[in-house]
Amino acid sequence: MRRIGVFVCHCGINIAQNVDVEALTKYASKLDSVVVSKSYKYMCSDVGATLIKDSIKKHELDGVVIACCSPRMHEHTFREVVSDGGVNQYRLEIANIREQCSWAHSDREKATKKAKFLVRSAVAKAKLLESLETSTLEVNHDALVIGAGIAGIQASLDLANDGFKVYLVEREPSIGGRMAQLDKTFPTLDCSSCILTPKMMEVANHPNVELLTYSEVTGIEGSIGNYTVKIKKKPRYVDVEKCTGCGDCATACRLKDRINSEFNMSRGKRGAAYMPFPQAVPLKYTIDAEHCLFLTRGKCGDKPACREACDQKAINFDQKEEIVELKVGAIVVTTGYDLLDPTSMYEYGYANSPDVITTLELERLISSSGPTLGEILRPSDQQKPKSITFILCVGSRDETECTWCCRIGCMSALKHVYLLREKLGDDVEINVCYTDVRSYGKGYEEFYRTVRGMKTNMFRGRPSEVQNMGDHQKIDIFDTTTNKLFEITTDMVVLVPALLPRADAGDFARLLHLTLSGDGFFLEAHPKLRPMDTFVNGIFIAGCCQGPKDIQDTVSQASGAASRVATILSKEELEIDPLIAAVDAEVCTGCGICVEVCPYEARVLNEKTKIAEVNDALCTGCGACIAACPSNASIHKNFTKKQLLDMVDDII
Amino acid sequence: MKKKLALYTGCLMSTEQYGYELSVRESLPLLDVQLVDIAGFSCCGEPLKSVNQLLTLYLSARNLAIAEKHNLDVFAPCAMCHLALSECKQVLQNNPDMKTRINEMLAAEELTFEGNGEIVHTVDLLHDHIGIEEIAKHVKKPLKGLKFATHYGCHLIRPSEIGRPDDSEHPVKIEAIISVLGAETAKYPEKLDCCGGILQINLDESALTKSGQKLKAVQNQGFDGLVDVCPWCHKMFDARQVKAGETVAAKLNVPVFYLTQLLGLAFGVKKEKLGLDFNISPVDKLEIG
Amino acid sequence: MSITDLTSMGEPQVELKKEINDRLSKLQDEVSDYCYQCAKCTSGCEAHKLLELEPHKIVALLKQGLIDEMVNSDIIWTCMSCFKCRERCPQKIAPVEILFALKNLAVAGGKQVPGKYTSVLQSVLSIGLIQDAQSVTTKDMKTKTRDDLGLPPLSKPDDPAKFQAGLMKIAVEKV
Ligand SMILES: Cc1cc2nc3c(=O)[nH]c(=O)nc-3n(C[C@H](O)[C@H](O)[C@H](O)COP(=O)(O)OP(=O)(O)OC[C@H]3O[C@@H](n4cnc5c(N)ncnc54)[C@H](O)[C@@H]3O)c2cc1C
Ligand code: SF4
Ligand code: SF4
Ligand code: SF4
Ligand code: SF4
Repeated sequence: MRRIGVFVCHCGINIAQNVDVEALTKYASKLDSVVVSKSYKYMCSDVGATLIKDSIKKHELDGVVIACCSPRMHEHTFREVVSDGGVNQYRLEIANIREQCSWAHSDREKATKKAKFLVRSAVAKAKLLESLETSTLEVNHDALVIGAGIAGIQASLDLANDGFKVYLVEREPSIGGRMAQLDKTFPTLDCSSCILTPKMMEVANHPNVELLTYSEVTGIEGSIGNYTVKIKKKPRYVDVEKCTGCGDCATACRLKDRINSEFNMSRGKRGAAYMPFPQAVPLKYTIDAEHCLFLTRGKCGDKPACREACDQKAINFDQKEEIVELKVGAIVVTTGYDLLDPTSMYEYGYANSPDVITTLELERLISSSGPTLGEILRPSDQQKPKSITFILCVGSRDETECTWCCRIGCMSALKHVYLLREKLGDDVEINVCYTDVRSYGKGYEEFYRTVRGMKTNMFRGRPSEVQNMGDHQKIDIFDTTTNKLFEITTDMVVLVPALLPRADAGDFARLLHLTLSGDGFFLEAHPKLRPMDTFVNGIFIAGCCQGPKDIQDTVSQASGAASRVATILSKEELEIDPLIAAVDAEVCTGCGICVEVCPYEARVLNEKTKIAEVNDALCTGCGACIAACPSNASIHKNFTKKQLLDMVDDII
Repeated sequence: MKKKLALYTGCLMSTEQYGYELSVRESLPLLDVQLVDIAGFSCCGEPLKSVNQLLTLYLSARNLAIAEKHNLDVFAPCAMCHLALSECKQVLQNNPDMKTRINEMLAAEELTFEGNGEIVHTVDLLHDHIGIEEIAKHVKKPLKGLKFATHYGCHLIRPSEIGRPDDSEHPVKIEAIISVLGAETAKYPEKLDCCGGILQINLDESALTKSGQKLKAVQNQGFDGLVDVCPWCHKMFDARQVKAGETVAAKLNVPVFYLTQLLGLAFGVKKEKLGLDFNISPVDKLEIG
Repeated sequence: MSITDLTSMGEPQVELKKEINDRLSKLQDEVSDYCYQCAKCTSGCEAHKLLELEPHKIVALLKQGLIDEMVNSDIIWTCMSCFKCRERCPQKIAPVEILFALKNLAVAGGKQVPGKYTSVLQSVLSIGLIQDAQSVTTKDMKTKTRDDLGLPPLSKPDDPAKFQAGLMKIAVEKV
């Protein structure tokens, strides 16, 4: 017969106020196989731990039940305590009498009764728990970073500088992400490319970093410590070894200045042979297969103009897509964000006038590498605007579009006011329609004050529509500071659109088995305590793919994720939790159903013995195979049918 | 395929806006729509929503119940009626308690509302049910060389949650219909502005100002005329145009048509049959029909 | 503890606010408490420029429970029911529906109904329509009736007594 100890925690008053812990302790002491039952105010404290360990020795326990908070909180702690005390850590069972009892109910008597049932059923299981041993797994010390915006670059550099080999995958022709599109950055007004370009160069030249641009992840297998990732390298049709970045192909391209430039938010043009921006890394040209005449129609004049123009003979239309396989120990996802296309809010006129633009488009107009070389010109007539009006929160904080705050919109608009005032002088009228100005970061409120002093017309209110009057735009705005309706006629309107998850975030999450939060961004394992972790061990997230944030927060999070990865990669071996699936070889009929249902490819059918096997390193203990096995041969260790049924029996 | 619909005329169209009723009755049968007249309908209740919303719901449910009794979908050419009926259907469908209560009241007239009939308006009937291509086949006298401004009417396109015949911010169906009739349309900034019609009941001067402002904008932008699809809006823009002009100090001279009148004209129907005699605005200015 | 509006010495009417909110929920609108006073409704309000209606303020007053103040004011009767406020509110609030509720309250509380509402109501109660068929004058000054035009007889309740029996029940009900 087992000798079980029950330990009831008060959790201060969290449990004690709704559950009669003394009665519960007394009740437990009378249960079959229970030789000792104790309660204490904080079981997770040092004193509590000592109490458990001493009891184990004194009563020669071989099984422990702790009635306390959710196992998600302290199971790990108590496993160590039990193990220290001399009992196999897997002979511990937790009865959750806080989240599932005291917090959920207010009737003390009934809650106490329920707690008794929970403890009784935990004891029933403890009687049957087996001792299990953890096994170990060798760790691959290389890392994969997906998405080379500032988050991906930062995480890669941190890891590379720690001595780890890093594969940095970017799907665009150049690294840099959104930050490369920005002119200056709030609140310090650092020139974005001046602070970003050196980092781009550093990561490209770092001996520990292998850059895979114009590439995408297409498949992933394995688990923490040992991932195998398939990467698709799209053909650039330019031999990067030979291309010197001279640009002769782009100058010659028959489609030169005929295609909307994504980098310039369609406010500028490029050709089919192109480089997204002058500081691109790698400094290589790419031929856009979607538009290129030769690639789409098989004919570009007599001969492809780019190929003729290239002295280096770098243009190669025979290039094919390539799939490479990488082996890595851990992964950081840094795929960033998209912006709301304000066409969906038709009332704001974005689809109705070229002079209604977004902040990111303005960013390109301000930038000296942009389509107007930094001159602020109104799109419709290329004249200097005399009045510019900003509308904040376009689609943000909006139950019909995006419920969340974009977190950078206010500051980016204030930054633009500052830069426009600098560029256009005092005569230009600048209006800002805001709902609340959210300037919460370090130095942000001070920046807001500075901008208020720059002849900025602030209107607290939200326009209902932007009317296109032909040569100007008209906006009615009710200002709640003066309680007056103002009519603004203005040359240009700048919308501050909501920040969205990448359009393909859902597909990408499925590929990596990640979870999305309600807003569609990647979900962190815990919003406060594990902000960079995901629910997949070994995969981390950082930057705007987790939620809108500024560069400061992005970089901090990226460094944090890198350090979380380093913790794993620096180990030689990882322990594997033994609470996974197993096969009862006696019973298995070799039907192979488990192989089909396992989402982690942890199941194989042994060709010789015709019996299913489990790859311990891959199994996550999800339980799919257990449910699917028609012959009851699949077992979840320490969650066996007998153990669970006994628990149920004792609860009803 | 022949479409058979109960014609729900509502109050304003059938008691004074004869131009709409005549043109509806003349032009739609040419498109194989059979309009069925049913006795016993009442006001949709929308004009009294400010007084008692339950009354509105009741009256709308009552009318829908009558159509249901004849197993017919409802065609409501008035935008206000269309909204009242659609809202009633939606509210009662999502709120079984309310439906029961209304049905208890309807018992006085041996009626029950089920909510399984469809409710269409001129715009979706023409654009979605009949279709542009079908309309094109019937055009005999294209309305060449004319450029119209369109007025959808607030009740027709909002609130979108209730499901309206066209998009609330970017409606385009009337434009599509006019274009197949051979005429042109153009965007204008005031397109979504209200006619003010409902205020005729208690603040007539303001109602007129609203209409006056819109008509003035249409006139100043050089349109040949204004096209609408609701008797309330039409009354403001057409019959009351001169008075509306006075409130905004403008001499207004804008021909105002019901969409179904233009439809009939393009189909070669005689002017008289389309009730154009009742259009007080200077529709004769345009050489059509 | 209490909250008092020192300009009017009015106090929040918590119960009445709840009643209005319940009614709005029944009609599937968001209740006023979610309003964050962006004033998008007022910026686009068709009645604001002419008649000074401020829908965001209506919502705010309801939020604070200051309902009598609105019910007793003429301003609630200026709404043109264009539904722009409801359509465009980022918090899915419908000031226009709040206004309908307030006007209904005013009528139920015996306030004088403005303009022609009384006669319109009278007409609907007696013949089922806002007015009976009119003879209308054409441009060339000919007067025509439905009959003259070959239009079928006006569709209206054929048994007014039964029709009114149904309507009578509404007087005692609430939405
Ligand atoms: C108009 C505007 C102005 C701003 N101004 C400032 C400012 O002044 N100061 C400030 O602090 N912040 C500013 N920001 C915010 C700033 O842009 C972000 O904080 C920052 O860019 C986030 O970096 P990131 O690396 O997370 O994402 P991103 O910059 O979006 O980078 C993500 C990268 O991942 C790549 N990628 C995406 N999906 C995949 C995939 N499936 N496979 C491979 N690669 C992929 C993308 O191509 C991209 O290169 C501004 C934002 C806007 C919109
Ligand atoms: S083949 Fe022609 S179209 Fe294509 S990149 Fe070269 S020059 Fe441009
Ligand atoms: S950051 Fe500013 S602009 Fe963006 S949603 Fe928040 S409040 Fe609106
Ligand atoms: S638009 Fe909506 S959220 Fe904004 S003030 Fe009006 S009711 Fe409130
Ligand atoms: S429905 Fe009334 S309150 Fe709302 S915008 Fe129109 S006129 Fe203003």
